[in-house]
Amino acid sequence: MAVKSARVQAARGDAPEVAITPEFWSEFFAGNRRACARLITQVENDPGVVPAVRDRLSARLGKAVRIGITGPPGVGKSTLSSAIALGMANAGHKVGVIAVDPSSPFTGGAFMGDRVRMDQLVGNPDVYVRSLASREGRGGLSPATPYVADVIEGFGMDRILIETVGVGQAELDVLACADIVVLVLQPSTGDAIQSMKAGIIEGADLIVVNKADLPGVDTVLQSLRFVFSLGGPRPNKPAPPLMATSAQQSEGIDHLVAEIEKLATELVESGRHFEMRRERLELEIRDAIQQNLWEAFQSLVDADEEITSVATELAKSGGSPYKFVRETCSRIEMKLRASAKKGMKNETRE
Amino acid sequence: MNETPIKVVVGKPGLDGHDRGAKVVARSLVEAGMEVVYLGLRQTPESIVAAAVEEDADVIGLSILSGAHMTHFRRVRELMLKEGIGDRLLTGGGIIPTKDQESLATLGVGRLFGPGDDPSAIVGYIQEWVKTHPRSGVI
Amino acid sequence: MKLESEKTAPVRESEFTTVSGRPVQPLYTREDVAREDFEENLGQPGEYPYTRGVHPTMYRGKLWTMRQFAGMGTAEQTNERFKFLLARGQTGLSTAFDNPTLYGWDSDHALSEGEVGKTGVAVDSLADMERLFDAIPLDKVSTSMTINAPAAWIFAMFLANAEKQGVAFDKLRGTLQNDILKEYIAQKEWIFPPAPHLRIITDLFAFCGEHVPQWNTISISGYHIREAGATAAQELAFTLMDGFTYVDHAIEAGMDVDDFAPRLSFFFNSHLDFFEEIAKLRAARRIWARHMKERYGAKNPRSWLCRFHVQTAGCSLTAQQPEVNIVRTALEALAGVLGGCQSLHTNSMDEALALPSDKAVEIALRTQQVIAFESGVANVADPLGGSYFVEKLTRDIEDEAESYFAQINLMGGMVKAIERGFPQQEITRAAFEYQRALSEKRKIMIGVNDFVNADEKLIIPILEIDESVEPNQIARVKALREGRDNVAVGDRLAALEKAARTRANLIPRLLECARAYATEGEITLTLIKVFGEFREQSFF
Repeated sequence: MAVKSARVQAARGDAPEVAITPEFWSEFFAGNRRACARLITQVENDPGVVPAVRDRLSARLGKAVRIGITGPPGVGKSTLSSAIALGMANAGHKVGVIAVDPSSPFTGGAFMGDRVRMDQLVGNPDVYVRSLASREGRGGLSPATPYVADVIEGFGMDRILIETVGVGQAELDVLACADIVVLVLQPSTGDAIQSMKAGIIEGADLIVVNKADLPGVDTVLQSLRFVFSLGGPRPNKPAPPLMATSAQQSEGIDHLVAEIEKLATELVESGRHFEMRRERLELEIRDAIQQNLWEAFQSLVDADEEITSVATELAKSGGSPYKFVRETCSRIEMKLRASAKKGMKNETRE
Repeated sequence: MNETPIKVVVGKPGLDGHDRGAKVVARSLVEAGMEVVYLGLRQTPESIVAAAVEEDADVIGLSILSGAHMTHFRRVRELMLKEGIGDRLLTGGGIIPTKDQESLATLGVGRLFGPGDDPSAIVGYIQEWVKTHPRSGVI
Repeated sequence: MKLESEKTAPVRESEFTTVSGRPVQPLYTREDVAREDFEENLGQPGEYPYTRGVHPTMYRGKLWTMRQFAGMGTAEQTNERFKFLLARGQTGLSTAFDNPTLYGWDSDHALSEGEVGKTGVAVDSLADMERLFDAIPLDKVSTSMTINAPAAWIFAMFLANAEKQGVAFDKLRGTLQNDILKEYIAQKEWIFPPAPHLRIITDLFAFCGEHVPQWNTISISGYHIREAGATAAQELAFTLMDGFTYVDHAIEAGMDVDDFAPRLSFFFNSHLDFFEEIAKLRAARRIWARHMKERYGAKNPRSWLCRFHVQTAGCSLTAQQPEVNIVRTALEALAGVLGGCQSLHTNSMDEALALPSDKAVEIALRTQQVIAFESGVANVADPLGGSYFVEKLTRDIEDEAESYFAQINLMGGMVKAIERGFPQQEITRAAFEYQRALSEKRKIMIGVNDFVNADEKLIIPILEIDESVEPNQIARVKALREGRDNVAVGDRLAALEKAARTRANLIPRLLECARAYATEGEITLTLIKVFGEFREQSFF
């Protein structure tokens, strides 16, 4: 789990201390974009900084609506995201855009070309755009994505678009960290609908057929309606709204923005927004504690090596592993107690 | 990941549509493990610097074959200083006479590359520059 | 394939591929062309399918037009350069415009900053056109204008200037590049989305067919596609495919193919790989003739002709040891001539460094003259016809182009292929491949990755554009706007806008605007109101 690796280190007390100076925070809260940019880089590069950042920003978090924009490559997600961001900004929102592109698993490099189609957003004081390479997210979102969204929200943005290539892991990751998921298709993706990953069709809150100036829009809309009329992909939820846009021709954008806003309002008013946030926090706390204990264990004994040798032994002799488990757990307990007495050095700040 | 990737913003200012060099270089930088934010054509100095600020880029790379290099490099450099990112590298390439390169260097513009320079030279220069100009850990 | 002799004799360690990466055999024999029907596929020069040339006598009848591309600074400066070249024996003019002009903007537009007069001449209105061709008789010299997106309104200014010189439209000879499709593919100088641009191009075909019959209405260009990194076969395939697309549009607009096809012309690159370039140019003629005659049913043999201008490859020039560029250019020019070009531009040795100086331009022109008057190659038509190697290469490149046509047709045609980035991606990939071959020294560039002079110092003089050009030109266009009849300008722009909203031919309206000294940027903005602007789609 890629996202965990960030939390693991985040929860570790021995993570390198990064000096975020009070001057820095005052710049950040005064709306200095350079400070925001710098903080995003820190969060991206060094998960150890996450607790300090969360501590400082938590009072400002929880109100923004995070909108995932996903779909197959080439359907015009960047152009559409740009148009949505502009529409939201014109409606008085402050909008953050996180454009995620895959890192090369071979070189670690990443080519991020989304800004080419977002040049209308440049210089708009109500919009902040950031490109994010997936890094060790194994083809999915960057593990730092939720924290980057936190920074952008803390910077004052109340709408955060997370745009990602919807293939493989990324589209599932985006379901996990967005409040509303917009699935973008285009006329020629019609045939693919039947075979699309079940997860994303179930999870999408809104489905947009972009490039509606190309022929075949009606066919896609029809086959989508057909899919949902069978109740197949999501028997327990009503079918998501379906709509057609042409981002290149700026058609249907106002309607789309209005529809997203409607979903956002419903989300907040129904209490589901609060509930989603609560669930995510719960998950985060559990993961962090679990990982923290594991880390503590690893720092006390040479876990990997010991487990390997015990397992080898057991495989040969045919013994039960639970004797080792019980002994190890009590060993950890004792050591934890001892180190707690020595001082509160390792206490997490979460 | 052992090392944080270097982040480079690549763009073409002005009205010059010849993007072969910019694309080849961008791709070489990616292959060398850098994160490249490609801005595309018809950028203004303002839009380039605004993007570099938001992206917290280590490097801005401009490709200019239109002969307008003096205007554009000078302006981008000025804006970098104004926006507080004068500690980042401004480099690039195009058809830029030595005399102009020298005069841009006095303004704080880094090395500029020309036709015939191998992309690996640009990669090496950026890597070396970033290594010798560490950004402060304090934020 | 290995030769018997190669099994014993040593062979150099080299890839033995063309500059486009095409593998080349050690030897070509009768076997390689055994299946070629020479009667049908080669014929005679001046006969269908024109593989061997468009004229029966080729250069014995008329030498190619020596046409050096020129333009920089103000209209007066470029006018001087034109006269300099004509005085040295150049036989046609070719105008390079600056970037703002190429994009349809006036010199005082915000995006024009720093670009005015830099890589070409700044033209904002008829007034600049008058200065540009001052004392140059437009009925005596053929004039080429390299401009695309705003070609129709720059041409309107040219026509208005001809009127003022008292030259009838039907006496005008020359070429307008006017090729928007390759802009989307390679050079990226567009204004509107493809559809309105294609409409204006078709309008121009119709207008010129009637009023400017000697004018080449379009120069369908592979040059820039090649410069962007394409291989020889890609250059050929995408260019001819663009050509077919223009033909399709004109026919759809109700024109008869023979009414416009004779005025279509082409523009190819001549790169360093000598035989491959010759083969490409021969294949171009054969393919075009076949398609025009057999597919489009053109009856007039002039409609079958692929007449083309050639320019030597800018991307083959090096900033290092620039004098060596003279030699490169000479070889490329020779390939263009052996490939049967109708006009030729030879690059100057200093063009990897700056715009060419007078001295460098003169040597470039002299290079053509040496080929024409000293080398003897102009005495014989298609001297390489029948060469096993050249005929085989011609065949292979033709086949490769046809397979691209099939691929693009499957995508729904060239406009669709461009929209999904197909040619762009093919070119970007080829460019990167070539760069990699250079990095790995599988391909050699003298002075760049081999035979480098370590302590090289630049010793050739460099042309500098006076920094006062931009402010002066800006002042001029501002003064023009104050001094002219602005009511007339407003009326004519309004009439243009109205016509643009209908299917009417726009050229007469553009001519009216030009006559009233409407500026290029004003016309562009008027049309953007109707047609919208195209936004970049970057493909990798």
